[in-house]
Amino acid sequence: MKVLELKDVNKIYNSSMVKVHAVNDVTLDFAEAEFTAVVGPSGSGKTTLLNLIGGLDMPTTGEIIIGGTNLSRLSSSQLIDFRLNNIGFVFQSYNLIPVLTALENVEFIMLLQDKPKQQRQQRAIELLTQVGLADKIHKRPGELSGGEQQRVAVARALASKPRFILADEPTANLDTKSTENLLDIMEHLNHEESMTFIFSTHDARVVQKAHRVVTIEDGKVKSDIEQHPHN
Amino acid sequence: MILSLAWKNVWRNKKRSLVVIVAVTLGIISGVLLIGIMEGWTRQRVNDAIYNEVSHIQIHDQEYIKNEEIDLTVSNPDKIIRSIDSLQGLSGWVQRSKIVAMANTPWANAGVMIYGVDPEKEKQVTGIHKKIVQAGGRYIDAEHPGDILISDKTAEILKLKQYFVTDSILGELRVEKVPETVLTKLETLKNIRFRSPGDFREALRKEFSKKELDRFGLLITNKALDYRIRNKVQITISDQEGTPIQGIFRVCGIFKTTNTGFDQATVFVNAPELAKLYGGNTILIHEMAILLNSIDDVDDVKEKLSRISGDNSVSTWKELAPDAAMMNDFMIVYYFIFVGIILLALAFGIINTMLMAILERTKELGMLMAIGMNRRRIFKMIMMETIFLTFIGAAAGMLAGWAITEALGKTGIRFAGWGEGFEAIGFAARVYPVMTIEFLLFTTVMVIITAIISSIWPARKALKLNPVEALRTV
Repeated sequence: MKVLELKDVNKIYNSSMVKVHAVNDVTLDFAEAEFTAVVGPSGSGKTTLLNLIGGLDMPTTGEIIIGGTNLSRLSSSQLIDFRLNNIGFVFQSYNLIPVLTALENVEFIMLLQDKPKQQRQQRAIELLTQVGLADKIHKRPGELSGGEQQRVAVARALASKPRFILADEPTANLDTKSTENLLDIMEHLNHEESMTFIFSTHDARVVQKAHRVVTIEDGKVKSDIEQHPHN
Repeated sequence: MILSLAWKNVWRNKKRSLVVIVAVTLGIISGVLLIGIMEGWTRQRVNDAIYNEVSHIQIHDQEYIKNEEIDLTVSNPDKIIRSIDSLQGLSGWVQRSKIVAMANTPWANAGVMIYGVDPEKEKQVTGIHKKIVQAGGRYIDAEHPGDILISDKTAEILKLKQYFVTDSILGELRVEKVPETVLTKLETLKNIRFRSPGDFREALRKEFSKKELDRFGLLITNKALDYRIRNKVQITISDQEGTPIQGIFRVCGIFKTTNTGFDQATVFVNAPELAKLYGGNTILIHEMAILLNSIDDVDDVKEKLSRISGDNSVSTWKELAPDAAMMNDFMIVYYFIFVGIILLALAFGIINTMLMAILERTKELGMLMAIGMNRRRIFKMIMMETIFLTFIGAAAGMLAGWAITEALGKTGIRFAGWGEGFEAIGFAARVYPVMTIEFLLFTTVMVIITAIISSIWPARKALKLNPVEALRTV
């Protein structure tokens, strides 16, 4: 079942001096439970593509359809609600709320969804346990390592029960051990909960784990390959 | 959790938040104290105007207010008296003869308004009998018809106030443990009569060091002060034909209110004795003064009396003491001006702090927008942060301001150096600050409004952030 479709998507940035074609005629679709890496050199348009998929930016032309909803037809406030309920974000630099504990950070997104307190807490504890942080739920981000913070971010992304998780270079700031740990958790969630993951990366170790690798160059899809992940 | 997050956000940068909170606290304390002093002064002025000078309501002949002539008496007083006696909420009333006069002593003279009164009834309406100064004799009474009560200021003008250092005063000062070195210097001023406080102060200044004066100056001045009680004062008035007539009265006492202007112009004698002077068979009634139990009844009573007053005019304290009335009515304007200036300054401080806080958290706000926190919630979060920040300072300021005002309300603040200046315009040199519940509510509402208005700019700034760009910031 298709979770996400991109049809002839273009993104052109017009500055006073130059015109940049950041995403060029991209047509892609992603099925449920896919574990996809978007790769490409710096400036190839990976992040722009992820921003478009995540509804943070609008295409100049083309359509992005998530679960039957065309993002271009949504107003900005509808888009915020859409993101809240359909897309989970994991950022390169974790971006947790520093004054809240791990538990509160995970709960926060469910609070935005107006879920009752008991349900919020129960799910947040479950997710933090799944990512191996059951003993650190009351720690603030500043008291956690980079790898642990990114695991909290993954738990937060899952908390809203999104259609898919979008991760922009999630391992860029992590050491080898933390990267492996995070990838294991993401694979496990993908396998056990059939959660769709789309992540951009430079990291060969991450690419090896992907089931599908989409390579972008100069804003165009250069290759789109299914592969057997290496463990 | 949004409220909890806003609260936690306030304490992210403790030092900066504390600086703003302390600024708000100090601003509110100064506002509360300033308004407290103004309110204290206003109340004192209004109270003194009513209870010492003009009462709540006065009745005169229509012309008398403009032209204080001896023949312009209250018409139909009996009818008015019956009406006054039937008033609800009446505290007391008096009728007075009130004539322009010249007071003379062998050394000086002064223009005064002589009040012919019934001393016992007068005590029910004015508080002058409680204003007799230390060593200033006594209030007038019916047993001593030839007595006159004058003010400290009139005594000074008529040279009936003097400073005189005698052996007995030196003895009293020795009992008060004034050092011998000071007493030795004071010996040089012994048996010299000083006719004005200025001359005496000047003489003391020449003899003593500043330190000695600061420590013992007031005590020496108070001890050396001597009123020439029982001295004769000649009073000259014009009778109904305009012929000057003189009479002699003996000073029985000296009073002092907080209004030097009133004091300087006012002397009291027994009404029958004054009547003897102008030669009438009956006591002339130029003024009827009415004191009510409540100031709130003034307008109703005025209306009631106006209906039966005929050719007389009925005036309220506001018309008779317009300076006090103006202050009373303008307090709300003072509130707005003082509190407005303080809150305006605070608003800019708060806006600055919040803009800084938002600038620092651009990336985080971008993340919140990206994950789905809508504009309404972001606006609410920033607004609550601003309100919390303002309110902690405001609450602390109110509490401290209230405590300081209450404490000073008991002890009073003495503006020693400016006492004479204040009293010349009717204000006490010692002010008792007052904090009213109306002011507390008013300031609380104003602080809330300021906090909300101050939060709009930073909150709008946050809403204008583009999540993609915000997430890119370091």
